[in-house]
Amino acid sequence: MESNRIYEDLSGVQKRANRLRVAIEVLFLVLVFFYWKTQILDHRKYWKLAEKNRIRETIIPAPRGLVLDRKGIILVKNIGSFKTSLIRENTPDLERSYRSISQLLGLPLEELKKRVAKYRAMPPFKPLPVKEDLSLEEVTLVDARRLEMPELIIEAEPKRQYPFGSFAVHVLGYLQEISAEELRTPRYQDRRLGDLIGKTGLEAEYEPFLIGRNGRLVEVVDSQGRKQGEVEKLEPQTSPSLQLNLDFDLQKKAESLLEGREGAIIVLDPRTGCVLALASYPTFEPNKFIHRFTPEEWQAVVQDPATPLENRAIRGLYSPGSIFKLTMSLAALNLDVITERTSFFCGGEITLYGQPFSCWAAGGHGMLDLTSAIRNSCNIYFYNLGKRMRIEDIARQAQLYGFGQLTGIDLPGEKEGLVPTPEWKKAKKKAAWYPGETISVAIGQGPLLVTPLQVAAHTAFIANRGRKIVPHLLNPATAIRRDFQSPDGADFLLRTGLRRSAFDKVIKGMWESVNREGTGRAAMIEGFDICGKTGSTQTISTESAERLAQRKIEVKTHSWFTGFAPKDKPEVVVTVLVEYGGGGGATAAPLARQLFEYYRELYQNGK
Amino acid sequence: MIDRRLLSEIDWILVGLLLLNSALGCFLIYSASSQGPGDPYLRQAAFILISLVGLFLAFSLDYKILVAYSPYFYFLGILALAGLLLWGRLIAGTKSWIRLASFGLQPSELMRVFLILLLARLFADFRRTHLSVGMLLLSGGAVGLPLVLVVLQPDLGTAASYLPLLLAVFVLAGITRRQVALLLILALVLGVVGWSFFLTNYQKNRLVTLILPGHDPQGAGYQIQQSKIAIGSGGLLGKGFKQGSQSQLNFLPARHTDFIFSVLGEEFGFIGVLAVILSYFFLLLRLFQAVGLSRDRPGVYIVFQVAVLLSFQFLVNVFMVIGLFPVTGIPLPLLSSGGSSLLASYLCLGLVLNVRMRRFVNI
Repeated sequence: MESNRIYEDLSGVQKRANRLRVAIEVLFLVLVFFYWKTQILDHRKYWKLAEKNRIRETIIPAPRGLVLDRKGIILVKNIGSFKTSLIRENTPDLERSYRSISQLLGLPLEELKKRVAKYRAMPPFKPLPVKEDLSLEEVTLVDARRLEMPELIIEAEPKRQYPFGSFAVHVLGYLQEISAEELRTPRYQDRRLGDLIGKTGLEAEYEPFLIGRNGRLVEVVDSQGRKQGEVEKLEPQTSPSLQLNLDFDLQKKAESLLEGREGAIIVLDPRTGCVLALASYPTFEPNKFIHRFTPEEWQAVVQDPATPLENRAIRGLYSPGSIFKLTMSLAALNLDVITERTSFFCGGEITLYGQPFSCWAAGGHGMLDLTSAIRNSCNIYFYNLGKRMRIEDIARQAQLYGFGQLTGIDLPGEKEGLVPTPEWKKAKKKAAWYPGETISVAIGQGPLLVTPLQVAAHTAFIANRGRKIVPHLLNPATAIRRDFQSPDGADFLLRTGLRRSAFDKVIKGMWESVNREGTGRAAMIEGFDICGKTGSTQTISTESAERLAQRKIEVKTHSWFTGFAPKDKPEVVVTVLVEYGGGGGATAAPLARQLFEYYRELYQNGK
Repeated sequence: MIDRRLLSEIDWILVGLLLLNSALGCFLIYSASSQGPGDPYLRQAAFILISLVGLFLAFSLDYKILVAYSPYFYFLGILALAGLLLWGRLIAGTKSWIRLASFGLQPSELMRVFLILLLARLFADFRRTHLSVGMLLLSGGAVGLPLVLVVLQPDLGTAASYLPLLLAVFVLAGITRRQVALLLILALVLGVVGWSFFLTNYQKNRLVTLILPGHDPQGAGYQIQQSKIAIGSGGLLGKGFKQGSQSQLNFLPARHTDFIFSVLGEEFGFIGVLAVILSYFFLLLRLFQAVGLSRDRPGVYIVFQVAVLLSFQFLVNVFMVIGLFPVTGIPLPLLSSGGSSLLASYLCLGLVLNVRMRRFVNI
């Protein structure tokens, strides 16, 4: 340190020091630029992010609307329940969290992970439902660990309940958790993950109405999701109850009649189209859909050969069989192929286009006019009509009367059936139409397909002497407005040239069928003037049926009955279909009789 | 030992800037920690008082004497660091603390001051125009030893803060381009080796986050993301004192230490940021000015090292909180809460005052 007293030349050193200083000054400029960019240019973006951090919006679900029968009996209601959800971001160690949750709630680890994995694409901080319908003990268990496990939260929610179990389940429908695909559709844009939505039946049809309006809770939260203040609270609004035309007692009766069978029953009011009962059997337990099926139970329901999930009344497709003879009669009268007095001879068998066709009555019915033909459901008579009419004309008339198209009932998933035409056959089967097929169609066989509801609506159309109705479950006079007027309007007869008298002629045959020892005699009730028609439809082709008959093997047919009462002032239509039920007169007609009787007891004695 | 005439040569402007920034720090810590337990701002005020004593000690004794004794300081520091590794207790995941009553002392912070003095001594008689390989290795070794000891603690942030000292002396001694290239290659090799063998996943994550800020927003990127949100949402004027939702609702991590600047950005906006940057900038300008005023070579080395060190720490921290530098754990000198770091900064500035006030021969 001898240089103490000497000024040494430090200029070289200081020049180099200056250079680094300039570099640092430049870095300060860069720094100011980036803060300006972040705080001034990108301010809005970060402001929004900060608000999103700070504000938590919780949906307070509105309880779904109730569903009532026509007398006010509650068919669907809500009860309180708790569920627990996982917020993935609130745990530092998701794996460990899974293990504790699995232990805490007794859920298998794999099942839990699978359930959460389903929601992988969901934005962060969304609660992912882990377990619904917690018991009180489970609620306490989770709540006691609120501080150790901030990732697990408890939410109270109204739970749907069907107090009568499988009662009218195909009408009411059921709820199921919304799928990720549905969540992306505009219909469900306001819904949340884990929400239950109506999947079938009225629950699905009136979903937008039933959900009411959800409430909203806007809170200030800290980084742990703890509430620090409240910004806004909007109470949820429940939708008014859904009032149905369905009659609890009739529906119950219809279901009990079907018990042990597979089939469908429809009871409706032909004056308005109000559906009083709509039953399909077998059924299932809708409350299960909320609790979630175990995988085995779900497989059992889906793979059940008896298809309990299907609503046979609106989705089951069957040959109409002899029921279609009513349609044929109307068509033939309308097209002036016959008059009421036109008669044909039934000898039990007839050869048409070189093929033998037989009547169900082996000895034949002798000479019959239209009324007797309907009363006895004579095949030969209608074969004769089939021979005299073109398939195109039959198809056009059948469609005009409502077959091959939706009835318009307020239930999702209705099927429209099939009215075959040569064009249809060409397109589908790549083959020409044979005249012999027209003969089959004339007695309601062949490719013709209808739903039980179409038959009921058709029956109402006949009962009303040519005025169509739209079957509907909702009582439109109450909270929700919906128009159930038939698009064909009141001038249907005028536009189609169909004569009112034609209906009277067909109805005369139907009346005799029930009240004059016809095929429908098993449905007769003294003094109620029931008019009806039976049908027994082959479930296999005519040829194989005859072959089996020769070998004395009985093939059970589907059993139909459709009718209305009273004859002159119709107020109720009953349609019954029993799969493999045998003859319509033997199986379906007695069931229909019980319903007519019960209806009379409920609605006429009480008057 | 201290003359009245010397006292009049004290750079009061520098002292003023120093106190201003310290007070600002205290104020920000107050706002940042109002939700948490304890009163970190009171502790910080106590640290400032203690550090002022250190500051006084650092400028009262002639720096030439300090430089002369620097090898002993250095040796003591090395002993302390080695001892910590052998006997230190793990606190917050590192062995970097010596506990003194309720305060903790980090020898690694004080080591920086000793290094400044030692490097000044090593280069005191180095008059060549270019850095010699011998001096490069010698100074590199002198810094490398404590650096390795601190890395082993492990405290990467403090270890990294030794590097600007080397940068400063190399620049002053006239490092050649070839040496720069060689050092870069060496750094690259060390980097690759370090990445594959020594860095923990946690540290790797932080580097990856720098390059891909959006990746893993709940993990390593969370801090940076929340810090950027805090700063950006502050806008021009800020949300106001104690009104920052990011800071007050706990979204901002380490908000009274490493991320104190984010609190400033959120609550006082661009205006506040600009004000603090400017006050810091003037402080640094004052330091660089003192480089030109130094009488001798050790003085220049001391002042320049301090200036580069503070610039480095400030820039790294402030670039870090808006996501332009990885989260290294380097606090904001003078502003962040923390006693050892504050004391070290005061000692450094004391040395600068020391050199400056003794700039005239024969005083």
